[in-house]
Amino acid sequence: MNGSDATIVRARGLRKEYGSGEGLVRAVDEVDLDVARGEALAIMGPSGCGKSTLLQLLGGLDRPTGGELWLAGRSIDRLSERGLAQLRRHDVGFVFQAFHLMDELTAQENVELPALLAGRSPREARQRARQLLERVGLADRAGHLPSALSGGQRQRVAIARSLANEPKLVLADEPTGNLDSGATLEVLRLFEALHTSGLTLVVVTHDERIAATADRLISMRDGAFVDETRLVGGTTGSLGALVGLEG
Amino acid sequence: MGRLLLVLRIAMKDLRRNRAEAMLLLVAIVAATATLSVALALRGVTSAPYAATRAATAGPAVVAAVQQSSSPPAALTSLEHGRGVVDSSGPYLIAMSNLVVGGHSDPVMAEGRNTSTVSVDQPKLTAGRWVRTGGVVVERSLADLLDLKVGERVGLDNLVGGGTGPGGGPSGGPSGGPGPPAGPGGGHIRAVGPSFTVVGIAVTAALQPSPLSDYAHPSGFPEAGLVWVTRSAAEQLATLEGGAFGYTLNLRLADPGAAPSFAAAHQHGGLFLISWQAIAAKEGLIVSVERAILLTGSSLLGLLALASVALLVGGRMEQQTRRVGLIKAVGGTPALVTGVLLAGQLVLALVAAGVGLVVGWLAAPLLTNPGANLLGRSGVPALALSTIGIVIGAAIVVTVVATVVPAVRASRTSTVSALADAARSPRRASWTIAFSARLPIPILLGMRLAARRRRRAVLSAASVAITVGSLVAVLMFREHANSLDTAVGLGGLYRFAGPGDPLWERGMDVLLVFTVALVLMALVNAVLVTWATVQDSRHATAVERALGASPEQTTLAVVMSQLLSALPGAIVGVPVGIGLYLAVGRHSSGMPSALGVAGVVLLTIAAVAALTAIPARLGARQPVAEVLQSEMA
Amino acid sequence: MQQEVVLALLAKEPSTGSRLRARLNDALGPLGEAMNDGQVYVNLSRLEKTGLIVRETSRAGGRAYQLTPAGQERVAEWLTEVSWPKPDLAEFHLKLVAAAQAGLADPIGIVDAQRRELLRRLRDAGRAAMAEPDDSEAGLLLEGIVLRLQADLRWLEACERRWTKQRGK
Repeated sequence: MNGSDATIVRARGLRKEYGSGEGLVRAVDEVDLDVARGEALAIMGPSGCGKSTLLQLLGGLDRPTGGELWLAGRSIDRLSERGLAQLRRHDVGFVFQAFHLMDELTAQENVELPALLAGRSPREARQRARQLLERVGLADRAGHLPSALSGGQRQRVAIARSLANEPKLVLADEPTGNLDSGATLEVLRLFEALHTSGLTLVVVTHDERIAATADRLISMRDGAFVDETRLVGGTTGSLGALVGLEG
Repeated sequence: MGRLLLVLRIAMKDLRRNRAEAMLLLVAIVAATATLSVALALRGVTSAPYAATRAATAGPAVVAAVQQSSSPPAALTSLEHGRGVVDSSGPYLIAMSNLVVGGHSDPVMAEGRNTSTVSVDQPKLTAGRWVRTGGVVVERSLADLLDLKVGERVGLDNLVGGGTGPGGGPSGGPSGGPGPPAGPGGGHIRAVGPSFTVVGIAVTAALQPSPLSDYAHPSGFPEAGLVWVTRSAAEQLATLEGGAFGYTLNLRLADPGAAPSFAAAHQHGGLFLISWQAIAAKEGLIVSVERAILLTGSSLLGLLALASVALLVGGRMEQQTRRVGLIKAVGGTPALVTGVLLAGQLVLALVAAGVGLVVGWLAAPLLTNPGANLLGRSGVPALALSTIGIVIGAAIVVTVVATVVPAVRASRTSTVSALADAARSPRRASWTIAFSARLPIPILLGMRLAARRRRRAVLSAASVAITVGSLVAVLMFREHANSLDTAVGLGGLYRFAGPGDPLWERGMDVLLVFTVALVLMALVNAVLVTWATVQDSRHATAVERALGASPEQTTLAVVMSQLLSALPGAIVGVPVGIGLYLAVGRHSSGMPSALGVAGVVLLTIAAVAALTAIPARLGARQPVAEVLQSEMA
Repeated sequence: MQQEVVLALLAKEPSTGSRLRARLNDALGPLGEAMNDGQVYVNLSRLEKTGLIVRETSRAGGRAYQLTPAGQERVAEWLTEVSWPKPDLAEFHLKLVAAAQAGLADPIGIVDAQRRELLRRLRDAGRAAMAEPDDSEAGLLLEGIVLRLQADLRWLEACERRWTKQRGK
């Protein structure tokens, strides 16, 4: 067991490679990472830099080629498919760029699904789903199909779904990639609220605005980390100059 | 014209890209059309060989016989002078005996003949020469059955005691000959008779293929083949212990067409008569039975082929929507779109129909070979224009019916949504979703999967129902064939004598062919359904796995979804099969054995489960991330 | 801040300097703090000098400014002008070039530092924007800041890419 209870994610020398020989592609190249409990981490980088792949490894959607990975103190880099399924069920919530909701289920049923898969009774699952939909502000749309929801609303349903089993960690892969600015704001507000309530969040994005809301920002290129910035707040005073208010 | 070519080009490219599906579809339609073309080829087959044999052997118009007579009764000989009779031969003594060769014994009728030729029913030699002392001429179908050649030595003797004599007990008539009689319940003792050499092999129009049941020969003798011996040899055989016998008389009428009424008029007082038309009908019986089986079979296969095409087309329509959008966006009319979608399927269907016709044309002679007892071949080889027309027409109809609904729907999709690849979204069944929430996870997921595509579930269930039904009907046929009413030109029941009866053998062969074709097609359908389901459920399965379902659970779910439609289908198939058998068999009755039915149902379900589990399991190995990415590409 | 803003604010009604300041604060929300207090009065006196406004003594006794006809004309003109405040990219660009040429500092280091600063500001602006109620006017201004910062950050990323390649040669 490694690290204190305060470290949710710990990666050492994490690698993901495709192909071999001449055609070897290092999607994730010897990445070391620590994510503290309650931290909001943003990972940015150009397309193809491996940030999405890294996130998938952290979330157990894919297996690393090498390196070590711990989640909440448990080593997960050598887990079987069944073990990874367990992981996804209880420890990790995932939010995708394309939402990936089930088209034939209502918002409520979509949010219930992870709880049902985790073995909760239908009633428990339903209650939990209602609570979560309220939390994301969509209680009045619980009975709507995804096709009747806007992009932002769908993503909020997906976020609610990711919280269904009280995960230790929520991973979001370009959550606002398919959204217009208005919907982006909705999702942004939600993430802020979740962060404030203590949720550990890792977001992959190339939207600077989303990245700027994080506590820490990591830049990635060609599968490796190249920069890390700790973002601390200031005041709005200095902003005036940007809009010609000074002088 | 240019547009037509364009349509064809797009359709051909489409087919090339989806080779596996095209192959499956080809197999399905070929099986159905081949069966149909064989069935159709059997239509005009019956009469030619028999007519040829009649002509070559101066076949009689009527054959009359008596049983168990010490000398030809007056009633028989008086027929020679009956109204309309212009010629006759006989009466000939017929001795019931056993032909023994290589330790194997078969009952035969030994007809005593002169060495000279007669004007009515002179059997035509196909090998060797006519009867002489110590020689026996064997009827060709019997010779084929026993694999006899000219020059072989055979024995003609009798079994004493036990039950091969008519009526079962020692018969009346002059007894004598060596060998002690056996008591009831005692063993069989051979009364050794004279030994003969096979001097010739011949055919006759006056009897049915050997060995057929008693109703083939008016004498009423039990299953027996026919051999010819000298008159004295026949007399000798008749005197052997346990030797039953009778007399037969061949008549030619001035008006051959009046034979049936002549036979009916004189059928009394221990006389048995049969007209040549009845004999001919019997000849044709084999073919009629085959035809009945094949026609029914090909309709069933046709239904299965319909299901195959519908499944395939339905599965592909989802992939086609984007292409449809493109065509429409560049100015194609809905008609053009429908045309493209239909064209590919039709080309395939026509090719398959052609192949099926050829296969059927090649296979038909095997089934329509009249058998060794008749001369000449059946008139099958020339592929009748009507056959070609019907087969191709059937293939086209099946394809159009299966394709037209999805094609029209696709052509009506708004261009915008088609371009955005708004694939036909799955149906929603609220009650299923609510109900399944209480069930174990694999069934939960499986039920929801099945409810997404109702049309496919129904088609799958129908396929299974047809398959199980056909197998049950085949099962019943094998079990109850004795009571099968195949009265075609023959008054009364025809009983299959069981293995050894050429009609039985032939019928079973045809049934086997049909069963093989059926199973093949059912497999094709099952594969298509499975493939479509697994493809269709990739996204849903990936999402479920991302949310924490294990690979075992998702694999089981896919299998469950298949079983949820296959099981009702199999259960429905049983009464369908019983009904099918009763309908084809006309007055037949009976129920299938419980064990047999259970076996068929269980095997089918197991096959469906296995066929689904394999691709489902393979799909579950792919990392979730890959699938999700590709699904949204 | 341009004089024309003050002028336009007076178009509604004559106003004292302090009333104008209050109205500006309202419109700018939290950014009002950034505004230099004296700036308003400086602008007012300049405008008076150019004859676009006049000072009148109101009944309440305060010194209220109001528009002259020339002032009104100027306001109307200004409202239809479409110039857009220029971003100050040239200066930064030249900074990088100069540093590289003189070997004084690593351009990429400069870019990174600037990026971090802008990110912090983006964070602040984003937070401020979200704190505003939905239909607030100030919120709209903050939104503009956010979007500008995003655009600048993208340019900085492009700078980094280009200067990295440059270094590689």
